[in-house]
Amino acid sequence: MKLFRTLATAASLTLAATIGMGTLVQNAQAQDKKFKIYLSLSYSGNAWQSEAANIVKALAQTPPYDKTVELKEVISGTDPQAQISAYESMIQAGADGIISFPISSTALNRTIHRGCQKGVLFFMYDATVTEPCAYNVSYITAGFGENTAQALVNILGGKGKIFLSRGVPGNSVDKRHTDGAMHIFNQYPGIKVVAEYYSFWDDRTTQQETAKALAAHPDVDGIWAQAGEYGAIQALLAKGNKLVPMTGENSDGFRLALADPKMQAMGLKGVSAGSPPATAGYAFKLMMETLTKKRELKPMNIEYPLPWVPADQVKLCKGDTFADGCNVFPASKVPSSFVTEVFNPQFLPELSLQSALEGKPTPGATIQPLPAEIKQAPDAPGINCSNCKAPAGEYKLTKIEATVKP
Amino acid sequence: MSTASDTLTARPLRRRQSPLLRAIVSGTGIVALIYIILYALYAFWQPSALSVFTFTDLVNNSTPLALAAAGETFVVISRGFDLSVAGVVSLTNVVMAVYPLQGAGGALASLLICCVIGGVVGAVNGILVARLGLQTIAATLGTMIVCQGLALVILDAPGGMVADFVTYKLTDTLFGVVPVAGLFLLLVVILWLAFRRTDTGIGLYAIGADEQSARFSGVAASRVRIFAFIAAGMLYGVAGFMLSAQTATGNPTAGTPFLMLTFAAVALGGTSLSGGRGSLIGSILGAGTLMLLQKVLFSGGVSSFYTGIFQGFVLVLAIVFGNAVGWLLKKEERQ
Amino acid sequence: MNAHRDIMTGLDATADERGSQKIDHDIVSALLVFGLSIALILCSRFISPALGSWDQVLTVLTLASFLVVLSFGQGLVILIGGLDLSIPALITLGGVLTTNWIGTGDFGVWYLLPVILVVCALVGAVSGVGVVWLKIPPFIMTMATSIVIASAALGYTNGTPRGGSPSALLWLMKERFLGVPVVIYFTIALVLLAWAIQSYTAMGRRLYALGTNREAARIAGVTVNRLELAPYAISAACAGFVGMMLVGYSNGATLRMGDSYMLPSIAAVVIGGSSILGGSGTFIGTVGGAILLTSLGTVISAIGLSAGWRTIIEGAIIVAALLVLRGELVVRLGNRLIAWKR
Repeated sequence: MKLFRTLATAASLTLAATIGMGTLVQNAQAQDKKFKIYLSLSYSGNAWQSEAANIVKALAQTPPYDKTVELKEVISGTDPQAQISAYESMIQAGADGIISFPISSTALNRTIHRGCQKGVLFFMYDATVTEPCAYNVSYITAGFGENTAQALVNILGGKGKIFLSRGVPGNSVDKRHTDGAMHIFNQYPGIKVVAEYYSFWDDRTTQQETAKALAAHPDVDGIWAQAGEYGAIQALLAKGNKLVPMTGENSDGFRLALADPKMQAMGLKGVSAGSPPATAGYAFKLMMETLTKKRELKPMNIEYPLPWVPADQVKLCKGDTFADGCNVFPASKVPSSFVTEVFNPQFLPELSLQSALEGKPTPGATIQPLPAEIKQAPDAPGINCSNCKAPAGEYKLTKIEATVKP
Repeated sequence: MSTASDTLTARPLRRRQSPLLRAIVSGTGIVALIYIILYALYAFWQPSALSVFTFTDLVNNSTPLALAAAGETFVVISRGFDLSVAGVVSLTNVVMAVYPLQGAGGALASLLICCVIGGVVGAVNGILVARLGLQTIAATLGTMIVCQGLALVILDAPGGMVADFVTYKLTDTLFGVVPVAGLFLLLVVILWLAFRRTDTGIGLYAIGADEQSARFSGVAASRVRIFAFIAAGMLYGVAGFMLSAQTATGNPTAGTPFLMLTFAAVALGGTSLSGGRGSLIGSILGAGTLMLLQKVLFSGGVSSFYTGIFQGFVLVLAIVFGNAVGWLLKKEERQ
Repeated sequence: MNAHRDIMTGLDATADERGSQKIDHDIVSALLVFGLSIALILCSRFISPALGSWDQVLTVLTLASFLVVLSFGQGLVILIGGLDLSIPALITLGGVLTTNWIGTGDFGVWYLLPVILVVCALVGAVSGVGVVWLKIPPFIMTMATSIVIASAALGYTNGTPRGGSPSALLWLMKERFLGVPVVIYFTIALVLLAWAIQSYTAMGRRLYALGTNREAARIAGVTVNRLELAPYAISAACAGFVGMMLVGYSNGATLRMGDSYMLPSIAAVVIGGSSILGGSGTFIGTVGGAILLTSLGTVISAIGLSAGWRTIIEGAIIVAALLVLRGELVVRLGNRLIAWKR
């Protein structure tokens, strides 16, 4: 009996304490008619993810959205079960819209479907899902792989030994990029892929893997890289003072290197393309325009334009925005791992550097309407649709022409 | 005149430990208490938490981890670490998605295939450890990597499609109230309770507590170990099966998050990571607690990077609380 | 009396023999691991003629240096029967603090670097306090610390750690001396120091005792509670230092830079011969394990097969290496070595 009492006292004390602590945590929300928007991240802790999330947060605080949007950020980690659970909680909490970077293109479909049935809008940025009722906003169908591969082939004149620096094994984005690139490389018998490694879209890993590949093949002629490409440059510099033509994504370090006369003299040429964090802002504005009925948009796959900056077009930004066609920031303002494509003067004029770095709105900015046309993304099975086929000419070049005949 | 017999009778007889008391003092009871407290918090902030629908969702979400933790318990009790859980879950998930078998019969066949895959991996682990003398963590590290590679060979990017019967019926409820996934868990628990009374079951605890003495007492340590690995492997296979039911597609890296979470669930459930003590039921509840924690934090309004900080603190608090309750009760009982 | 002295010297001789037997076993075990690494690098010639070169060895050693420093700390924690899962978060902490507090300005680098190491050690000590006094299992305690530190770093930097690397770290990681990278000399010095600490100091011996049987150690007079704190603090400081090394290596910090080192740090310790349950193993063995894992990774990434097949081969080679490094084989070889010495 005494035991029972002790147990009961302990339990009720703890319950009281936790409830007390809990009510402290939960603020009483004003019952305005605000749109309840959830920003659902899976990965966190890399520059791309943080900048994309900061852009959405900044836009949500820019007038008039600061009065009409209640935005909450939820980070689930790399476990798909956790993101499924997060989506379910958000649907239950009465979300109007969920803007998200999904961890899996397929595992979340059932939960998304249930949410759609309850009237929740799902907008995915950069990564996509194959669920038809979700909106996918991504550059992935814009041909990063094939266009950068052709650029590299053009620079190399159709022959040479190259490295392939990939992303994460077992990931659809990595697969799509690499398939596109290999489609081009396979047309040129003079191009040999001597090393193919997984860099996990990380500068450090790219540097380490490139160093290993260089030990085996010191006479490489060019490198085709996904994100983390600045690490490859560091590996080349550490080995000797020679660089090779490279294509990669859009880290600040890579772009500055492309424009640096010293690096160019050492042999660096190439193109900076890759995944723009600005996609998140575009997706958010599309979602808000749909929610506020300014736009009538049925669930579809939307293509975000592929950034394309060859070495001779790199221009240093003087201020905090992409003005006058500038497209890279000085090293004093941002680290080399900063992903540069956070701006789009056409779609997102309300942003400045502070938005991407800290998630703060730009003083004096107000939300501008988006251009009316939207580019529909072609079907990509396994990426943005499940029972579909890729159109003919899936790997059509859009940014560049082949200057060398296969 | 006080005699020896008087003093003897004057001293009260020691109370026999009731099974209820034993259960509560053990890790299982404590984690059950933690789970109930967390659920109460969840319901307090989100009244719809008490609906069948929400409970079913929670059970569906927790079942794969719960099954994996249940399997891991076998190996941990026998004083070992089984890392191959990540590999088996990935492999079975990929096989379910690339070779779907339709209908109820197909679902049963798929379940058997998953068990066989898990059992074979478990047997390999058992032989490496018991017959060839490798450390458990080292051997299972190797098998995990090999299984991971096999999964990538079968399916190199997320895709495939799990059979409809599996994804619809197994995440549904029976009679509208009982989640089907919960029935799987119940079955495993019943089998476990029966297993504990067998010689092998007792032997499992014995070799975990002190292998030398167990051998001297006649326990066939090698055979019990191999059995533990096979049982664990089969449970990982079923975990992969239930994961496929939930996600409806295949992902070659599906098992990776399971590695850390499985051990956390086992430790939270009161099983000692140095063997000899613990219960499968505690591990299942530990898995449930981990999945519930996310929901509790969400409904409590915790967001952004604070979620991580709170998760860490709550984990530590839960264990401290459990230790405190256990210590209080032991003191109680001694008086 | 003479007889007594003979017996005593006889006993001493046996003790010495047993002692030297143990050293021989350790040395054989370590030699085997190194031998396997060399064999692996030489065999990689079959994959590509450019492999198996001195250049590749230097690359492997440079890349292995991170793992070597890391697995010293992890090895100490495993030695006392625990596990340190907070290593990735502490690598990040060390790196982020270095770029944020020092950066390329180099201002105060000579006292700020030690301060950052002390901060990391304090975090490790907190984990240790949780394990020792609050009786939280090391798995959960270090995992909780890891989650909290990683989330705090995310909040602190808003996702993008600013700042580059101080020139001292750049010098350490990028310069060469007589054709060999400076970091390799540095690592060798560290290895000798760490090995001496673990195997030949009083504290090291007490840690072995603690790991073998905590109760016995306590009865024997070892202040087990305070001693048990040390490995967690040392492990955290090692991880923080590896964060600094990584900052020098790639001239910057990111929030996930430590993630890929979690499993390899445990694997290196275990492959090197330590028991995961504590009480055995030497650091030299762990170093061998670290080098073996790094060589394996280098060779595997040079194989021109798909990711799946590469992973399968890597796992198979690890199992094969473990079978070769099994205790019994080492004992047999060691005995033969002793017999040959006589």
